[in-house]
Amino acid sequence: MGRAATWESWRPDPTNPRQHVAMLVDTSECIGCKGCEVACKQWNQNEARISQEPGTYQSHPALDAETWTVIKFFETDAENGMSMWLMQKHNCMHCTEAGCVTACPTDALQYGDYGVVTLDQEACIGCGYCEPACPFDAIHVDQTVWGQKAQKAGKCTLCYDRIANGMQPACVSTCPTDCIKFGDRDALIAWGRERVEQLKAMGYPNANLYGVDEMGGLHELYVLLEPPEAYGLPVNPSLSKTLTLWKYVLQPVGKALLGAGLFGLVLNWLAARRTFKGGLSPHETGAAMHD
Amino acid sequence: MARARGSIKKFSRAQVLFHWFYGSAWIVLALTGLTFMWRGDPTGPAVGLGPLLQGSVGQTLRLVHRIAAVGLMASPLVWLLGDPKSVWPDLKELFAFGRNDLKYMLIAPLYYTTGRGQLPPQGKFNGGHKVNFYVVFITFFTFAGSGLVMWFGRGSVSDAAFHTAQFVHSLSFFLGSGLFLLHVYLTAVHPFTRRSLSAMVNGWMELQYARLDHAEWVEREIRRGTAQIRDGGPAAEAR
Repeated sequence: MGRAATWESWRPDPTNPRQHVAMLVDTSECIGCKGCEVACKQWNQNEARISQEPGTYQSHPALDAETWTVIKFFETDAENGMSMWLMQKHNCMHCTEAGCVTACPTDALQYGDYGVVTLDQEACIGCGYCEPACPFDAIHVDQTVWGQKAQKAGKCTLCYDRIANGMQPACVSTCPTDCIKFGDRDALIAWGRERVEQLKAMGYPNANLYGVDEMGGLHELYVLLEPPEAYGLPVNPSLSKTLTLWKYVLQPVGKALLGAGLFGLVLNWLAARRTFKGGLSPHETGAAMHD
Repeated sequence: MARARGSIKKFSRAQVLFHWFYGSAWIVLALTGLTFMWRGDPTGPAVGLGPLLQGSVGQTLRLVHRIAAVGLMASPLVWLLGDPKSVWPDLKELFAFGRNDLKYMLIAPLYYTTGRGQLPPQGKFNGGHKVNFYVVFITFFTFAGSGLVMWFGRGSVSDAAFHTAQFVHSLSFFLGSGLFLLHVYLTAVHPFTRRSLSAMVNGWMELQYARLDHAEWVEREIRRGTAQIRDGGPAAEAR
């Protein structure tokens, strides 16, 4: 189903930003070439950071503020003398219920058009609240240098600047096996389910589609050959209850109570300045009232 | 009845210094912490305080926040080293919350609004001071503990621990801010209780006010012969 069912011609409807788009990575067809990593760096003009994950073919140990997509390599246990490399194109999942958006105190992270989780680096203060809020370890704050761009969060934008102009994300355009597909989310889910059934028939009984319901629905979907944990993906990730409570209960209630308290003090002052004339209490002026 | 002259020593120089050291750090922390409450619209043009609270300026404010945090955590040393003899007796009194303190807390809101009611005699610290101290005491540790987790623990503590620290830090802020507003109002704005402010400026309190608001303490000090009373108001002593 690789190139035969190409999605290269698909474009989002520019007049309908409420349409939810998604990327689907068919990991069974990924060859780990890392072309997507290079295309991502090139398009987004992110700094090249040379690092290595010893013992694998992985280019970087993890994502960072300047590295928005990484092909993760996982070697399976040998069966019949054969082991297999599992590869997962790791980047921001653009969750429907995103931990990073919930945690961001300045609204630098928001839910944007097409289901994309947008990041405005101008508004980012580098607090890092988003880092532990992401169950996929997909957003990071650059703490290496002090400056305009440093100390800011960085993550995959789903190439919003490209898709809003009728183009495909850079990684999708460059993928030589067409294993990264971009299109309407519902259509991709239907395609993914069909592909899973096909893989099962081909002798991969554990094949599954990841991202349909996780975090309210991801905009990064995966056709996996093995269970999610084999790819380092969290099983049933969820939004932290403490974080939800912090943003949607504590903050509004706290602000409302502070406002009400301030109002109460103004009322008190209006009454007290009549009672305590000249700063003297009724006991001092001989006008004490007893209940 | 006019105000009589005469003042009584309430706080030592070290205690006054500690109060303002802690208070200044707290105010800087609260103001710089407001960056975390700003919820502007990043898609629109930044207006008002927006430009000050975001981007690289926001980062600078975070640095100031951390410097002030170190100041706040170190501030108790001013009292502990500057006037160690007063630490235990004052803490002992602050942590003793009796029936009179409870009665004070129940009557004070009405009394300080309408003048109605009779406040029970209070010690060096009245019920309100004690409640304020409890909040300051507790939030000192919750602020410091959660702040240190968020400052140094990111990436090394569990996500759940980080979120809990984030929650505790914000909760401490709302608790502390409520008490802070009340504290500033009563000591600097309220027409009657602002007469107590001099005690935290030069250590001396108007004796007539002290007899009304801290009767038990004044009588005790006089009985023991430890009261430092001077003729002239607190302002005169400041000179």
